[in-house]
Amino acid sequence: MKLNKQVNKMTGETLLSGVHSSGLGIYIIPKKDYSSSYAIFGTRYGSVDSKFIVPGESEVTEVPDGIAHYLEHKMFDQPDGSNVFDKFSKYGGNANAFTSFNQTAYLFSATANIKENLAALLDYVQSPYFTPESVQKEQGIIGQEIRMYDDNGGWQVFFDFLSCLYHNNPVKKEIAGTVESISHITAELLYKCYNTFYNLSNMAIVVVGNVDPDEILATIEAGIKKNEPFEEEIKKIYPDEPETIAVPYMEKNLSVAQPLFMLGFKDNDTGYGGERLLKKSIEMSILLKMLFGKSSPVYKKLYEEGLISASFAPDYTMQPSYAFSSIEGESRDPKRVYEIILNEIERVRRDGLDEDAFNRIKKVVWGNYIRTQNDVEEYATTFMQLKFMDIDYFDYYDVYKTVTFEDVKKRFDAHFRKELSALSVVNPV
Amino acid sequence: MINKQINENISLCYIPMTKLKTTTIGVYIHRALDENEVSQNALLPYVLKSGCRKCPDREAIAKYLENLYGASLGAALIKRGDDQIMYFDAETISDKYAPQGEKLVSELLSLMMSVLFEPNITDGAFDADIVNQEKKNAKDRIAAVMNDKRVYASVRCTEEMCKGSAFALSRLGTAEGVDAVTPETLAEHYNKIITSSAVNIFICGDADVDEAEAAIRAYTDKISFTAAQIPKTELFKKDGKVNSVTEKMNVTQGKLSIGFRTGVAPTDNDYPALCVFNSVFGAGTHSKLFNNVREKLSLAYYASSQLERYKGIMIVNAGIEFKNFQTAYDETLRQLEEIKNGNVTDKELESSIIDITNTYEECYDDQRSLQSFYLGELLAGTDYDIEHMKAAIAAVTKEQVIAVARKVELDTVYFLTGEDA
Repeated sequence: MKLNKQVNKMTGETLLSGVHSSGLGIYIIPKKDYSSSYAIFGTRYGSVDSKFIVPGESEVTEVPDGIAHYLEHKMFDQPDGSNVFDKFSKYGGNANAFTSFNQTAYLFSATANIKENLAALLDYVQSPYFTPESVQKEQGIIGQEIRMYDDNGGWQVFFDFLSCLYHNNPVKKEIAGTVESISHITAELLYKCYNTFYNLSNMAIVVVGNVDPDEILATIEAGIKKNEPFEEEIKKIYPDEPETIAVPYMEKNLSVAQPLFMLGFKDNDTGYGGERLLKKSIEMSILLKMLFGKSSPVYKKLYEEGLISASFAPDYTMQPSYAFSSIEGESRDPKRVYEIILNEIERVRRDGLDEDAFNRIKKVVWGNYIRTQNDVEEYATTFMQLKFMDIDYFDYYDVYKTVTFEDVKKRFDAHFRKELSALSVVNPV
Repeated sequence: MINKQINENISLCYIPMTKLKTTTIGVYIHRALDENEVSQNALLPYVLKSGCRKCPDREAIAKYLENLYGASLGAALIKRGDDQIMYFDAETISDKYAPQGEKLVSELLSLMMSVLFEPNITDGAFDADIVNQEKKNAKDRIAAVMNDKRVYASVRCTEEMCKGSAFALSRLGTAEGVDAVTPETLAEHYNKIITSSAVNIFICGDADVDEAEAAIRAYTDKISFTAAQIPKTELFKKDGKVNSVTEKMNVTQGKLSIGFRTGVAPTDNDYPALCVFNSVFGAGTHSKLFNNVREKLSLAYYASSQLERYKGIMIVNAGIEFKNFQTAYDETLRQLEEIKNGNVTDKELESSIIDITNTYEECYDDQRSLQSFYLGELLAGTDYDIEHMKAAIAAVTKEQVIAVARKVELDTVYFLTGEDA
């Protein structure tokens, strides 16, 4: 196959891309002079995908929560009994994997032997091997992973926040599931999920670094084991989600030094990906920094009153099927922070947004885009995540340049609604 | 790499790295860990970055940085051996990527110099409101160490090991120490240390080093300095029996932290062997701890070891069920014995060497890592470059790994457990 070559004049970057006949999306971004390279092989399949219809079947399949993550762990067992990490170690690759709400990804970084590492990556992710014994063995390890998160205040405050926003959306569930839910996972169920979501037509591979694109492409083509793309889509079934939030407030107690909080707004303007979603996310990034960034009036007030410290992080999370804004931090009085934020929203609604701030922050957003291209890992990971939302990160500027002050004002009116806001708190024991 | 000595205390090191799209500036102010000033040092960088002559307050600094396409300026404290380092980290996209040809690197450097050398001190005192706000934040940072139990256990283990010595002090100081600081005493402390501490400035990325040197001199040439050295670290040594500490907290997972004395300084010939030994033992998916404590016995999601290079300390960390304390402890010690008894496979040795080599190689793509590498060489007093270290690691033999493992001695066993466990 032949890849399509694009050059971005503003960033100096080159992208080679194409879709293999197996359905696999291939993206290569060569970085001259870099020592390291990074490859990520991922599937559009995450913790939210527990209910689906396999292409060609008519019945709905429902599997235990936490299975996508469990499957990720079990991919490291090989049919010949070998250890995946050993293969990478041999070629100096540093291998890892992660599961998020909407994707599972397998990756490595290396400073040499990129071809050999890449072949190993392709090989193991296409070689599922699950037995009742090997599935059983993982219960202990993942059980400890879940326990680790039980004690993690930042993690707990995040999931409680999601439980505030969502009635039914599975994004509110723990990615690893629960000790109870994972006890129902079997080898058979793992195969079923694997055969559905790890079809190459549901996957993509991104390679960033000091690589020869022809060599990379040849390695990928040689490594493809199965050329049977689905002809129809995998139908993912999500429960209906009302527009309202589930509850406005949640709290719990953990061993933390001072209260942790997360507050934010549910975004009901969802159901699309692509350029429209990218544009929305740029508008939201600008807005959040204008309203709550370090130069904002409200940040100054909160900081000087000793209500927040440096840890005050506004963020916007988006997927085609859900989205929300959030601010995470520590405070002796989270309820007061929440109240001040809501008052600030009302003040801005009356007085309007500051156009000077818009112009400054729009520059910041551009700087941040440039910055993400420094690091092979950050760039590859972001690229894949956005590709799965049908967003072209390479030509970000084409969308960025269209964002106006008017757009941001409209977005403000649509997004920041008190009745869609919530607060989650983790208090010290 | 270009080195410029600005004066007896301040040196500038420029490391070109134009393949990246950013330029990073790091300023490191060295102070010997000392209970009499540790808390003032912990507070000072944050007060300094709250305002200066160029930008009078935090809001002005924030806007200034935003206009530089979201450049960053951060402060932090670092502890390396017995050195408490006040660290300022700044980053901007390089001038080449400034859409309107702005001189971003110069603008950022001059802000940093103003923060360092032109603080808002009036009548011998910092602004009282700012000092009070930052005292609260400094105490919050001290208290927040407990939030991440993995880090907390490791810090507690080290404290217990080195009780009574300077190294037991936290880089963040103490709550009592912070309470005692006043706007006047902090100003006095600033005036004392700014002229009498070793300061390293690193610029990594794409800059004109002569221009940078001139920009720094514009701030420093009118000040008189008293010569100072980077603090020296003494290797941690102790005799006597193993110290065991159990602490209870409201947690669901136990955190095991085991401290060892390595007896090896970074200047020693067997330092590269120590690095390889640590990798074989517990640093990575090829290591004995990962493959036995995690994979074979399913006791933990993480089980790993790490070195404190300057002090000669190694800490093992694992998150486990309360009831598995003894099993995890025994297995950790058993794996160390395995190495001491010569049970190191070729594969373990090779994987470790490759893994460490990779980490060194990756510094070439990361401005902060490269700064940190060269800073480390200054602290260790070794002055090697990355290629030298790669070669030294590659030359390590199995026998050397075994020999250095035999120097490693158990010192302290710390366990964070549940209240009802």
